[in-house]
Amino acid sequence: MAEAVKVLPREIQDLMEVREWDMRTREGVNRFRELKAKSLPSIALDEQLCYESLIPGQEELAEEIRRRWGLKNG
Amino acid sequence: MNSTTEGHRYIYRTQGVCPPEIHFEIADGILREVHFRGGGCPGNAQLVCRLIRDRSVEEVRPFLKEIQCQNQTSCPAELDRALEAALKGTLLPAQSFRIAADLWTKNRVALVGNLAGRLDVWETLRGDLKEKKVEAVYCLGNQTEPSVENGPLLKALRKDKRVMTIQGEEDWRYTRESETGPQENLNPKEIDYLKSMAQVLSFQLGAKKGLVFYGSFIQDLPGYSDYEPFALEMNLVANLTQFMEDESVFPALEAMIPQFTSGIVIFGQRKEWGRWQVGGVDFISVGSSYEDGGLSWGLLTFADAQLHFEVQSFPWTGKGEHGK
Repeated sequence: MAEAVKVLPREIQDLMEVREWDMRTREGVNRFRELKAKSLPSIALDEQLCYESLIPGQEELAEEIRRRWGLKNG
Repeated sequence: MNSTTEGHRYIYRTQGVCPPEIHFEIADGILREVHFRGGGCPGNAQLVCRLIRDRSVEEVRPFLKEIQCQNQTSCPAELDRALEAALKGTLLPAQSFRIAADLWTKNRVALVGNLAGRLDVWETLRGDLKEKKVEAVYCLGNQTEPSVENGPLLKALRKDKRVMTIQGEEDWRYTRESETGPQENLNPKEIDYLKSMAQVLSFQLGAKKGLVFYGSFIQDLPGYSDYEPFALEMNLVANLTQFMEDESVFPALEAMIPQFTSGIVIFGQRKEWGRWQVGGVDFISVGSSYEDGGLSWGLLTFADAQLHFEVQSFPWTGKGEHGK
């Protein structure tokens, strides 16, 4: 799932800040529970769980990030 | 070589590099083990570890210095800092949880939980365990209970060669309090026994490797690291599933299971019997040995290439007095 984010085009990468959580650690597990996620891998955007287990296509993920960025920045 | 750094294991928390921790061991000035934990380039890290293992610290350090990868540092530079801190004594040897291993493969073991100082309960259970011909008894804490005279039970457990005890949270507290003033006059042998109890026990049952721990207090021990052996299993059981109570996160548990080193994970904190099978791993919650007028223990066997688990329960009114 992290790979799906890393391969996004540069202009999308510039719109966001990415944080990866390691489920081997207590910090990662606590974050997973905070987000109320159930399965792995998961992607949250703006503190909201958006994708679980199914890795979104590059276009779908890029579109969702653009949409959210548009909502926040007019 | 500073003698205080010899024969010890260290955990160094890095800064500015991918792996958050470096684990290493120094014995007689020689680097015995080095592992970069939790991230980074695993292939490169493994090569570096192989190249420097079993070499003297002094010989290795010049090769590590002044390498830059990111944030004006690198994994080798961080290892050099770690070694320097260990030599100077500013990094103290790691004192994490105590792991014991049952060295002989078993096929038939008993699980006993929360004896809480009750010698009468143990004596009754012991008869039943003998009858069922178990090869070993894994006794999960708590072995002690603050309001009870604990000495007789501890003595009986210590003397029984089939018993392996796993410290519970109360037992751990008890040993800490005994340093500032014991609640009762325990024999020094019993105090030592309580202090030296395993906090994690590894075992082999037939073809399956197993792990026994009491509960989440282990994660609060000074020097605990998420990258210790068995820490993954304990973290996911205690924190992710809340001791298997939250079944909604079992898909995530299953996704992490390929990284487990144990095929059986046994815990005691929940104090009620339970068994779950997720992703080929058996999770077993050990209940209290005494509850509501009855006694119980768990029989874990490996036969026909399979793990079998049964809770053995029977009514018992007892003598009515704790620890007598």
